[in-house]
Amino acid sequence: MDKANRKRWEEQFRQAELRQADFSSISGRELQPLYAAGDLGGFDPEAQLGYPGTYPFTRGVHPSMYRGKLWTMRQFSGMGTADQTNARYKFLLARGQTGLSVAFDNPTLYGRDSDHELSAGEVGRTGVAVDSLTDMERLFRDIPLEDISTSMTINAPAAWVFAMFLANAEKRGIPLAQLRGTLQNDILKEYIAQKEWIFPPEPHLRLITDLMAFSAEHVPSWNTISISGYHIREAGSTAGQELAFTLADGFAYVEHALRAGLDIDDFAPRLSFFFNSHMDFFEEVAKLRAARRIWARAMKDKYKAKSPRSWLCRFHVQTAGCSLTAQQPEVNIVRTALEALAGVLGGCQSLHTNSMDEALALPSEKAVEIALRTQQVIAYESGAANVIDPLGGAYYLEKLTDDLEREAEQYFARIDALGGVVPAIEKGFFQQEITRAAYQYQMAVSRKRKIVVGVNDFVNAEQRLEIPVLEIDESVERDQLRLLGDVRKRRDNAAVQARLAGLKTAAAGTENLMPRLLEAARVYATLGEISEALISVFGEYREKPIY
Amino acid sequence: MVQHKTKVIIAKPGLDGHDRGAKVVARALVEAGMEVVYLGLQQTPESIVRAALEEDADVIGLSILSGAHMTHFRRVRELMAKHRLEDRLLTGGGIIPTKDQDKLREFGVGRLFGPGDDIQDIVDYIRDWHSKHTR
Amino acid sequence: MISAVKKKGIGLKTKLPSSPATAGLWADFFQGSRLACARLITAVENRPELIPEIRHRLIPHLSGAVRVGITGPPGVGKSTVMAGLARRIIQDSHSLGIIAVDPSSPFTGGAFLGDRVRMQALDRDPRVFIRSMASREGHGGLSPAAPHAADILEAFGLDRILIETVGVGQVELDVLSCADLILLVLQPGTGDVIQSLKAGILEAADMILVNKADTAGTDSLLESLRFTFDISSRAAGTPPPPVLAASAVQDRGLDEVHRELEQRIRDILQSGRFHQKKRALLAKEITSSIREHLWGQFSALAKIREELPAVVERLARKRQSPYPYIRKVCSQVRIQYAKGRTSRGQSQ
Repeated sequence: MDKANRKRWEEQFRQAELRQADFSSISGRELQPLYAAGDLGGFDPEAQLGYPGTYPFTRGVHPSMYRGKLWTMRQFSGMGTADQTNARYKFLLARGQTGLSVAFDNPTLYGRDSDHELSAGEVGRTGVAVDSLTDMERLFRDIPLEDISTSMTINAPAAWVFAMFLANAEKRGIPLAQLRGTLQNDILKEYIAQKEWIFPPEPHLRLITDLMAFSAEHVPSWNTISISGYHIREAGSTAGQELAFTLADGFAYVEHALRAGLDIDDFAPRLSFFFNSHMDFFEEVAKLRAARRIWARAMKDKYKAKSPRSWLCRFHVQTAGCSLTAQQPEVNIVRTALEALAGVLGGCQSLHTNSMDEALALPSEKAVEIALRTQQVIAYESGAANVIDPLGGAYYLEKLTDDLEREAEQYFARIDALGGVVPAIEKGFFQQEITRAAYQYQMAVSRKRKIVVGVNDFVNAEQRLEIPVLEIDESVERDQLRLLGDVRKRRDNAAVQARLAGLKTAAAGTENLMPRLLEAARVYATLGEISEALISVFGEYREKPIY
Repeated sequence: MVQHKTKVIIAKPGLDGHDRGAKVVARALVEAGMEVVYLGLQQTPESIVRAALEEDADVIGLSILSGAHMTHFRRVRELMAKHRLEDRLLTGGGIIPTKDQDKLREFGVGRLFGPGDDIQDIVDYIRDWHSKHTR
Repeated sequence: MISAVKKKGIGLKTKLPSSPATAGLWADFFQGSRLACARLITAVENRPELIPEIRHRLIPHLSGAVRVGITGPPGVGKSTVMAGLARRIIQDSHSLGIIAVDPSSPFTGGAFLGDRVRMQALDRDPRVFIRSMASREGHGGLSPAAPHAADILEAFGLDRILIETVGVGQVELDVLSCADLILLVLQPGTGDVIQSLKAGILEAADMILVNKADTAGTDSLLESLRFTFDISSRAAGTPPPPVLAASAVQDRGLDEVHRELEQRIRDILQSGRFHQKKRALLAKEITSSIREHLWGQFSALAKIREELPAVVERLARKRQSPYPYIRKVCSQVRIQYAKGRTSRGQSQ
């Protein structure tokens, strides 16, 4: 009976006049006008969905999800000097933010001191400047690190920034075992997308595994790595590529740690993920559900992890910076709200909502407040948090989830054929896929096949494009340089030299480098000095430009 | 008769690693028949101008999203003058507030592009500039 | 430092008129201006009609720099190898010109020139001049202007010129004609690496380097290469080219490659092969220039260009031989020495 109904609808649809528009997803995925039970072909809810908190976790990582605990509202922020950022943290905590997330400036991200040649003009501009333990002390002054979880977005020098964070906790008498938080520490996606590396892949991977081993023993509540897809998506990839490349990176870290002799159930529970939430609403929800299912299956069946906590794909979501426009920036509030809702319906553990001007400049207080309120409206007014995985069972969504999983599996096969993630990086595979997707999207926008409101349609002709600026004035760089000079004068320089020499020797060998990094941090060795010491052993990496 | 193909240097000075825009522009220029020397990331103003000199480039395009545009554009312009390349076009894009764009124009920098600008506009701008300034 | 290297005097009198495009450049060029050097290279790329004049001015200043062509399939690591060799060549107190060629798109005519980036460590060294070129109409992965660019760099005072190309085309025509020595770079791979090379490229190489030697398949590739050369060299009675292995990205094995390269350079200088080649190129330059000139005059006189499309269409449609037409055209024009006459019925 249903077949006949379906045929009738198909016939009517065929005869209907359609809008002139591109009905594919933002990733270029062809979509049917309708999905019904018949489109799911052999869908087995037991195997494909299960229940929240049980394998394969498609419906969520915890049995109670948001009924038990809402996602953490964690707004990424940092600017200028450590004192200025400290003030911003206090502002946010007072307004209901439940976790801290540190954004560092470009020189810090690259492991360079504020007075390095390439740091000129960049100090404190896109995040907080951290040169030594002193900056950590100021950054977290009066903030109860034992009660609040802290996420630090740092990759190439993550190990020694973490060492400075731990040294600060020690000085304040906080037991390391009480510290909760996350380090991004995902070097593979740097080679693929964000481009913040120092050494070639192998030494970076060694530092990651060293940190994982150290943390498992001394800082057991810390998420040692946040395997990221956000940046891959920002670089222009499709949703399927974001999903596949992120999980492939995850598998690469698992394999590396196993080769280093770690036990999978010791480190896997502390792996976490970080996804983008972009404009194509349903594709994003499906992507996040597919991620959980793919990861669970791989960890259990392929890597034979025994603990269910090892099978969990827990993730943070940030709404898509690249979807925001400079034109009519207030409209970005709407975009962010939709993207945030997708993140919530996708079951994220924590969420950052972009401010309306965030793609252009560091957010003003007003803008960041609205972003936070967006999450609060979703949490308390929209009802989205009242029922677990509310979109589960929707035909379209389940089909999309299956399709994304299949697309990811295809990518995994191609990456394997290239020899794995690191060889694929060196062959430029990911970069080529991403650049092609970015170009195709840009051309689609240029030809108005994809509409961006306010940019290529619904344009306000009279509006003069203004980029609002949270002025980071040049005194920030001056102040930071002066502070750095003070640190270098007042510390025990002989001790610093001795610790750096010890670090170099250890780097040339195979011992775990974390204790050495901690020793260097304690005596106020600077970020750049530690980087230089390691560069002298590991060498520097230069990318082959892939087009 | 071989026409003079437009030679463009595309570079990102300083520490900003967001090269999606630079790559998309580079590709669009190549599709438009230009020869693009893609220098990529972590360039210094010195390395950029040295490349422009040896490559005899018509255009230098800088992509800067880190906020350090005043420093970098000004320094590149100074070095261009020093090496007698002031007749070449210095353009680029990124996150550059309008008032800074105005200041840079007084310095001899060409039109600058920002988020939401159509890549075709960038291609047309460079093509038009070159057809008016063939050496 | 470059300007201090051998100069043979400025202001050479020439019978060829100096075109306005290049007139202002020569004085600067011979005084060591990098801008003038760059602009002359642009001139040979964009204005091929200026090449005879430019060659004419440069030849007295050519110091005998050795040109090494570095070729091989895409992705083997040529640029990284070049960067490693370049560093060593500089350390040996040579000055170096590098021409890096990338393919032009046959559809759009544009080109993405991404090799320069790989050599950035050399960037600050004044003894190095790096120029990227698009292959343009070059069919063998080499730009037709590349040999002329090499002349310019040589006259500028650089004593080693490295030319990097993608060896996917007719090697004989391009790389051979331009380089004194050819280094072929390969990498171990799945399947038969040697079979997938273009015919002639293996025979043309003076040295073979298996790069990425830390990866699987190196030993079997080295063996296949040595086996191949063993047979062919015994047949030809000449010694086989050296086959080396290295990992450029780890900077291992390149000392030996460099030493071997310098040895081959000494060999071709001492054996006279270097000079023979210059003579052969000169002969070819003369014959092809004259041929160009004669064809130009002939085809204009006989109005061949205008009528050729229609002729071709008729012959193809009727499936007729072109030889009667060819004979007819040739018989209409008589070649004789100019003594007041350049052709039938017309005086000078």
